[in-house]
Amino acid sequence: MKISKKIIDNLKKGGVDFYLSVPCKLLANMIDILEKDNDVYYSAVPREEEGMGICAGAYLGNKFPCIMMQNTGIGNSVNAIVSLLQLYQMPIVFLISYRGTPGEPVGAQGGMAKITEDILQTLRIPMLHCSSENDLEKISTFSKHAKVVESPVAILCDFNLMKDDK
Amino acid sequence: MNRFDLLNKIQNILKDNLVICNIGLPSQELYKINDQPNFFYMLGSMGLSSSIGLGLSLSQNKNVVSIDGDGSVLMNMNTLATIGNRAPSNYTLLIIDNGSYGSTGDQRTFTDENTSLKDVAIGAGCKNVVECSGDETVNELSKAIDDQNNSYVIISKINSGNVKIDPIPLNPITIRDRFRKFIGIVKYL
Repeated sequence: MKISKKIIDNLKKGGVDFYLSVPCKLLANMIDILEKDNDVYYSAVPREEEGMGICAGAYLGNKFPCIMMQNTGIGNSVNAIVSLLQLYQMPIVFLISYRGTPGEPVGAQGGMAKITEDILQTLRIPMLHCSSENDLEKISTFSKHAKVVESPVAILCDFNLMKDDK
Repeated sequence: MNRFDLLNKIQNILKDNLVICNIGLPSQELYKINDQPNFFYMLGSMGLSSSIGLGLSLSQNKNVVSIDGDGSVLMNMNTLATIGNRAPSNYTLLIIDNGSYGSTGDQRTFTDENTSLKDVAIGAGCKNVVECSGDETVNELSKAIDDQNNSYVIISKINSGNVKIDPIPLNPITIRDRFRKFIGIVKYL
């Protein structure tokens, strides 16, 4: 719970007040925390691309949104990221559980893991890669950076960082 | 009645509300009929009008109308489930259902065959799902907007067909900022 709490605390410190998720077991503790938090909005959504649309609307209405998802969700969302979030320069935080990184038991997750950072790089989305607890301190500044540059940003949380967060 | 006729009929009802308008001809037609700062024209992301409007209605108190189409809703049907479980009372989804992919040359959609978006919306948990003719849409939309206690999904069954029209000349940031100025967020314009 310590890691998940630290991530949410830093996102909130960065001003994020509207959260969606397409669940992942590595995000489960964060979802628990957000469901009990009355200071921010939280909901599950069925699909990441749809979540990008809801985040865009929330930004138009003056929220600072975050969508939590597995890295597979980036693959589901490329057009929405480019022709909505980037076209209108909307700051949205992607909090990504980085499935398929070392520690991952499911081999099939490796395919998207191999290309996740390439996709984000091709999309010119600033990335913060968190592999240890110390990296989490950077999340609040990095979130604020999304607003300054009016762009979506991506925070990648490694499998091994999240897996023992009991 | 086609989409252009319908948008002409409802433009007066839309004027005090936040409107998210679907990509392609719907936005181009609405722009031509009566461009307003409270109209957010989509220039990409087909399928997401209903979702953008939902996020907007969850984040501020003004009434929101998402103008969507049958082809676009078929592309992002899962959002009807989110609307069915999360839509606040200031949200109205207007699906202009002409059974046709209008912007791409009027190819038939599945609503022109076996699919009923009314049944899908009800099955997805949406409240106050109304299917009506183009003529009835003015009344139904007014009722939906005036009702401060309920969200609505209106499916307006009209004919296919387009008018000849130009792309929207507005820059996306202009669309964004004047829309947010109307809400009261952007102060620098």
